Amino acid sequence: MEEGKKGKYKFIDELKSDVLFEVYGKDLKELFENAAEALFSVICQLDKVKPKEAEEFEMKGENLEGTFWNWLSGLIAIVDTEQKFYSKFEIEEVDETHVRAKLWGESIRPEIGETVVKSITNYRFSVEKKGKSYKATISLDI
Amino acid sequence: MKEKLKQISEYEWMLPKEGKMNVSGLIIGNKAIIDGMEDDMIGQIVNVTQMPGIIEPVIALPDAHFGYGLPMGSVAAFDAEKGVISAGLCGFDINCGINSIRTNLTAEEVVEKMDELISALFDAIPCGVGSKGKLRLDDKQLDEVMVKGAKWAVENGYGVKEDLESLEEKGMMEGADTSKVSPLAKKRGKPQLGTLGAGNHFLEIQKVADIYDEEFAKKLGIVKKDQVLIMLHCGSRGFGHQVATDYLKIQEEAVKKYHIEIPDRQLACAPVDSKEGQDYFAAMKCAVNYSFTNRIVMTHWIREVFEKVFEKTWQEMDMHTVYGICHNVVKLEEHVIDGKKKKVYVHRKGATRAFPDIPVLVAGSMGTSSYICKGTETAMQKTFGSSCHGAGRAMSRHGALKQFRGEKIQSELAAKGITAKATHPKSLAEEAPLAYKDVEDVIDSVDKSGISPKVVKVEPIGVCKG
Repeated sequence: MEEGKKGKYKFIDELKSDVLFEVYGKDLKELFENAAEALFSVICQLDKVKPKEAEEFEMKGENLEGTFWNWLSGLIAIVDTEQKFYSKFEIEEVDETHVRAKLWGESIRPEIGETVVKSITNYRFSVEKKGKSYKATISLDI
Repeated sequence: MKEKLKQISEYEWMLPKEGKMNVSGLIIGNKAIIDGMEDDMIGQIVNVTQMPGIIEPVIALPDAHFGYGLPMGSVAAFDAEKGVISAGLCGFDINCGINSIRTNLTAEEVVEKMDELISALFDAIPCGVGSKGKLRLDDKQLDEVMVKGAKWAVENGYGVKEDLESLEEKGMMEGADTSKVSPLAKKRGKPQLGTLGAGNHFLEIQKVADIYDEEFAKKLGIVKKDQVLIMLHCGSRGFGHQVATDYLKIQEEAVKKYHIEIPDRQLACAPVDSKEGQDYFAAMKCAVNYSFTNRIVMTHWIREVFEKVFEKTWQEMDMHTVYGICHNVVKLEEHVIDGKKKKVYVHRKGATRAFPDIPVLVAGSMGTSSYICKGTETAMQKTFGSSCHGAGRAMSRHGALKQFRGEKIQSELAAKGITAKATHPKSLAEEAPLAYKDVEDVIDSVDKSGISPKVVKVEPIGVCKG
């Protein structure tokens, strides 16, 4: 896990057993991309994951919060179902109720794993629009 | 918040009922534990006292720390007719738990071969993020695991019948319904049976450091100092995480549908007699059974490794299961409430069942002592038959990573005679001993309060971490 990436995401040292971070984006595309990157920086050593193969990934939701939640929740599950780590996230389409992306990564190598993320949680979960840009707060149960 | 606590005995502190609280809170802990408790954690106890059908009191055990909705290390019981069942209160790692396995080997014999042993265990037990098991289950087999639990393992050549006798619920919760588990949970669960995972999950080789209750220890097959035991701490993996995640969403909707007033949306729940409540209970049991199976499958592989390294059969090494317990679980149990026997849904989150004369396994932090205690009638009267589960974190994982370096932790452990191996050094830093409360204070609290007196103290000599 990194300290964060300036302008993209920032980890907040507050939760004893969990991870809390903020994600920023100048638009929804960036917000979803940066959130995925922050999540995978907790799961694995992001810089060591080679973007060898790509796959399509799609999620829906009733509103922006729901779609954003399902996006991250789906990414947590896909580590187990596809047995892969991902390091590059190309959002092809995103609006408040739908996201379609291409995920780039490689098969899991345990030596570049970091920690198991059990779930995204409701603790301080929020997605806020500030002017044209976005900020989200996310906590993970690990 | 802490100033509201009223000391009622040396080890018991009451959080009196006031305002919106339906019941009071009870905290078990010595002064050092209470001094170290966070206000936010006590606030979470107050939140749970406000839930419908809650039974007096909501309990924080000495290892309690701020968690998701309810602190890790707490117990909440609900009326079986007017109460709720809560996916939020059970937490994400359903039946995360501990199995203890004994041997008749001495520490001296094991230390001699420790490097070989730890490497062989590391090869045999898949560890780390997304670790894939060696088992290849089809849909039917996974369904059987969900329903039969550890019994499935024994029927398929992993573990033996005697193991089942030494597990909480005999390794199988009745009433698991596979139709209540989502296809995604099943898909995540299929490749992961027989894997340790990562985070605070571990496999530890321990030596007996002290025996406080020789008679009870003897019943568990623990007879002398320096005898080697093995402790396995892991859970229901992605399968259980997905069941929890799915039902938190379902129960969030149930909160709105049944107009349940909860002070924190993390405490998602549903009335006990509702579909959303009972469906969760049936799905949770599938995850409980998956986890029981997971630990027995790994027990089998641990035995195989010992057989290879020490060139004896596991029976010759007396490698029987001492006991196996759940940490995160909801149980329908009978307890005496206001002088009458009553069925209640007991939610144990980071807590261990402590029924009279049943072993309570308490994991210390990496590098510090762990304990076997025994449950008591006092626990039945005061804590719904529950005790602590571990040392309890004192520092965030992120904080630990900033403060400690895995390589240094490894060499410090080596200096103490502990061989530690992890998939990568960072997981040793995350779980650094100083990131946890002092297990001695935790044990002092459960021992002297009478809820689970200590029986055996063990110290680590070898550690495998995911």
